[in-house]
Amino acid sequence: MDFRAEKGKITALVGPNGAGKTTIIKIVSTLILPTSGNAYVDGFDVVSQAKEVRRKIGLVTVSDRLMYYRLTGVENLVFYGALYNMGLREARERARELLQLVGLGDWSEQPIMHYSTGMLRRLAIARSLMHDPDVILLDEPTLGIDTTTSRKVRQLIRGLAFNRTIVLTSHLMKEIEELADDIFIIKSGRVVAKGTPVEIKSLAGRFAEASIPSRTINSEMEKYVLRFDNGMALVRAPESSVAAMTGQYVEVEPTLEDAYIMLAGESATDFRPYQIKRGGAWGREHPF
Amino acid sequence: MNILSKLYAYIYLRGFRVWFSYKTQAVLTLLSWVLPVFTYYFTGTALGNSIVSKLGAGNYTAFFVIGLAFQGYVASTITTASQRLRNEQLYGTIEYYVLAPSGAFSFLVYTMLWGLALNSLSAIVILLVGRALGVVYTVSGLLTASLIIILLVLSSFGIAAMSGAVVMVTKQGNPIALFYSTFSTLMGNVVFPVTALPFYIRVVSYAIPLTWALQGLRGALLYGESLSLIMPDIMILLVFVIILVPIGTLSYIAAFNKARRDGTLSQY
Repeated sequence: MDFRAEKGKITALVGPNGAGKTTIIKIVSTLILPTSGNAYVDGFDVVSQAKEVRRKIGLVTVSDRLMYYRLTGVENLVFYGALYNMGLREARERARELLQLVGLGDWSEQPIMHYSTGMLRRLAIARSLMHDPDVILLDEPTLGIDTTTSRKVRQLIRGLAFNRTIVLTSHLMKEIEELADDIFIIKSGRVVAKGTPVEIKSLAGRFAEASIPSRTINSEMEKYVLRFDNGMALVRAPESSVAAMTGQYVEVEPTLEDAYIMLAGESATDFRPYQIKRGGAWGREHPF
Repeated sequence: MNILSKLYAYIYLRGFRVWFSYKTQAVLTLLSWVLPVFTYYFTGTALGNSIVSKLGAGNYTAFFVIGLAFQGYVASTITTASQRLRNEQLYGTIEYYVLAPSGAFSFLVYTMLWGLALNSLSAIVILLVGRALGVVYTVSGLLTASLIIILLVLSSFGIAAMSGAVVMVTKQGNPIALFYSTFSTLMGNVVFPVTALPFYIRVVSYAIPLTWALQGLRGALLYGESLSLIMPDIMILLVFVIILVPIGTLSYIAAFNKARRDGTLSQY
């Protein structure tokens, strides 16, 4: 797959579970060695110039842990600052500054075992900024956090994009629509569509909603079903597909989610083939 | 490099601060340092003295006090490194060590330093308990003892790195750590001389750096033997260092690269 993320923009990688989003994030961050192909961060090769790449990037992976629960917010950040060769004073100052930035200033001296999931996500973002990287990689940054905190995290991400390159993954199309400048839809390790949110939506063409008998839903239409009710299925699908099934339908404005469903649909797999068969190339030789 | 901030981070923050936040564990750890000394003292005075005196090892209390005090260096260095690596896999923090400029190798070195700091305390406590039980140390042997300890630590570093490599690949199940945390007491010249062991086990004992280190440390700290007298033990330890450090380092780096290649770095 090919993708390019530009400075000052937020680039979103979206796709079903197992599509390869996290694998791409980890290849770009040098944590997984690619079996073939090339990846560069600011011109540095992720394999042969891994050290240079690591200095350029800040990473936020998917987990509610990833920190030392018994230490305070400041201590956790100072710890990671030390790993980036920062002096203690510099690390403490930077830690306090970042905790303010992510809205955790009042909690900086509290052990993080008292933090909520949303606070831990913000702390993880603060950690990724400790060494002031040019590129920030965020793997599902709002996973498992409430609506209000999600909004705060989105504001924070938008603010960071001003002079950095942001690459994020998410399953929330509303979030992608709000944040992303460029979107790459990935399916089974391949880019199936790319463009701005408006361009991606335009790929959906005309969409329609209709209620049709459940028994008429075939495997191709299954992904467009919104709900089943009393033997009927409410579908939201490309107008041509709906028209082929019924004459009674309502035309609707396609959303980014509609376009995503049409382009990516459901993955035939919901596992990580890369990790199941060590060596990675297996996935390409045995399409799923 | 900023070594001071790393020492602060690894030894104070991630080491002492976290360790001491579990108060019960801290108290139990202190007890685990002291109680074995009394256990061997009471059982050993009945049996051990006759065994070691037959083998010409002198006072049994002095013998096992030195053994227990320094056995911890080896066992803890090796188990601390591999356990810590395992913990970081479970926490999901291992990837952040790899990402940082200081890298996974720095993680191993500083993690070991925390293990050594804790076990230096343990060694001091055991030596003090030994003093209270009547063991007399010769101050003149301190310099030689320090040299032996450095070589013991370096050779243990090589084994710890190999142990860490095993954890990176197997995730759980570490024969190297198991051997050093259990069998080294039996076979490492710790609580009785290796000459008391059957020949075929003695062969294994001679392949453990600890056996030679303890022989040298007893000579230096209990009998005030000169550097030239202890030189054979020092040379053998040096050979261990020359062999184990490169093998350990290379296997540790290879294990991390394998995990990156296989995409299993964050798996546990």
